[in-house]
Amino acid sequence: MRVLIIEDDELIGDGLQAGLSALGFACDWLRDGKQGLAGIGAAPYDAVVLDLGLPGMDGLAVLAAWRRSGRSEPVLLLTARDAVDDRIRGLDSGADDYLVKPFALGEVAARLRALVRRRSGQSTPLLQHGRVSFDPAARRATLDGAAVELSARELALLELLLGNKGRVLRREQIEEKLYDWAHEVESNAIEVHVHHLRKKLGSDFIKTRRGIGYTLGDEA
Amino acid sequence: MSYSLRGTLIRSLLKVVTPLWLVACALLAFHAWHEVNELYEEQQTLFARQLYGTLPTLGARNEPQLPQVGDSDHQAVAAWNRGGQLLLVDSDGLELDARPGYTGFASLRQHDEDWRVYYLSGEAGSVAVAQEMSERWEMIGGLLLTQGLLWLLLLPFALLALWWAVGRGLAPLAHIREQLQQRAPDDATPLPREVPSELHTLIDAMNDLIERVAQTLQRERRFTADAAHELRSPLAAMRVQAEVAQLVQDPALRERALQQLMNGVDRSSHLLAQLLALSRVEAAEQQHEALDWPLLLQELGEAVSGLAASHHVTLQLPPAGHTQWPLQHGDRTLLLLMLRNLLDNAIRYGGGTVSLEADATRICVSDEGEGVAEVLLDKVRERFYRPPGQQQTGSGLGLSIVERIAALHGLQLSLHNREGGGLQAVLSRSHG
Repeated sequence: MRVLIIEDDELIGDGLQAGLSALGFACDWLRDGKQGLAGIGAAPYDAVVLDLGLPGMDGLAVLAAWRRSGRSEPVLLLTARDAVDDRIRGLDSGADDYLVKPFALGEVAARLRALVRRRSGQSTPLLQHGRVSFDPAARRATLDGAAVELSARELALLELLLGNKGRVLRREQIEEKLYDWAHEVESNAIEVHVHHLRKKLGSDFIKTRRGIGYTLGDEA
Repeated sequence: MSYSLRGTLIRSLLKVVTPLWLVACALLAFHAWHEVNELYEEQQTLFARQLYGTLPTLGARNEPQLPQVGDSDHQAVAAWNRGGQLLLVDSDGLELDARPGYTGFASLRQHDEDWRVYYLSGEAGSVAVAQEMSERWEMIGGLLLTQGLLWLLLLPFALLALWWAVGRGLAPLAHIREQLQQRAPDDATPLPREVPSELHTLIDAMNDLIERVAQTLQRERRFTADAAHELRSPLAAMRVQAEVAQLVQDPALRERALQQLMNGVDRSSHLLAQLLALSRVEAAEQQHEALDWPLLLQELGEAVSGLAASHHVTLQLPPAGHTQWPLQHGDRTLLLLMLRNLLDNAIRYGGGTVSLEADATRICVSDEGEGVAEVLLDKVRERFYRPPGQQQTGSGLGLSIVERIAALHGLQLSLHNREGGGLQAVLSRSHG
């Protein structure tokens, strides 16, 4: 899941990036409002964490501008102000959720997952396909109820595929969802991850559409 | 000094009215005495004339003594013929001497009684009509007694009326007292002016005070709210970094998160220190002492040299023997804090060579950094304001502290960008 963080506070931004990355998100971090305004188009983000008090351009103005231009990415607002009026203004400007500083990192992650789940019309937190199920919060995959040991990237790829059932994902699409700017993608990385997932979850679990990309295999 | 309005009014009433009343009584007595004498003496004269008219008929009688009738009537009459022979006497114990040929009044005293006698003499003989003076004194006494009784009778009513009027006049005050007692400390609504006009100045002054207190309270409240919000960011940062340290497996990442956590603690400490400094400055009971500038400069140099070195800044302070300063007296602790904040700012946000210069009218702190955008020059002086994109940590309170201390010492802070680049902060003696 790829997330854009727009936060001017060095320590908070750095912490969010490091923490959300450790929790399985691919994160990019921008430090001011004007960069953020354009930055949202740089990658297919699943959600945005937006600070309200931003230099250059206020967080609410950025949000309003996105919504006017038709951007519908779910947005989680962060703010130091907790007056009801501020919350109302934030939500009315097009925010999907709201957190007041200081917040717990786990809550940011949970809310982001909930936002993405709601956006894709999925109601249960557990993702399932055939004999495989995946718990995005615990970052845990099981095959026939038995835990399967997967790396962070493999988990991310599994999550991506389970969230896009019936759709064929191109390799570049997968790369963009799995890797943030800070991490170099090696040319055959996706093939390697797919190979590992097939080995651990069954060779039919992922199908290759030659020349197009990857999709989930039939539910057995 | 506490005193009662009622008591004061009653005392002054008694003090003023009693002597006035006494004077009035004296005037009354004097006037009454005059009138009573005139009246009685007219009666005597009239009576003497009538008696004189009867003289020819009296001559035939040989019993001059009139029969006594009951009690003394405090009157005496006597009549003599031309030869001085007593024709008639109703002496009432008074021995009247014949004074042939005399017409007019005479006073005499017999047996402890004062008498007033009128003699009328003529061809037919002479008559005397005497009257006891005590008769007149009694009359005056009665008059004065009535007057006194009237006063004593009216006085309680007058005092009661006064008591009541004062109470009535002060009733609005009791109302205002009740209002003040029930009032919330931060209630800024003015007191009603429905009081006697004599109290309007007092109510106006109180309303003025209420207004000022409310403004101060509001300012403090806003400051507290701002301060709380400012503390939230470093708290959020520390919490996030602590969670990252718990979460990550990689020792290098954990080490980094812990380092960031320390940075957050430092930032919060700095913010708290600045908040405390500001609150101390706000409440400061300023010392006013002769300033030892060489020592102050030395302490200042020691305080900022570490920061200057870590930011690769060259620091230029005036030589220890520099004597030209706009201040010779002041609070050294506060002044040190003020100059330190200015130098801190210049080092953190400016850079290059940071210099402090002074002459008899001003102190300038200059740096060779990028300066501050003209539109933000006023904004950076606001509490908690930090210019966008500022990478250096800071509380946004430094200039507020500087301004406050400067104001306490009659100095004014102005900021402007230098022509060659960099910011200059000038503390100059404020005029007026």
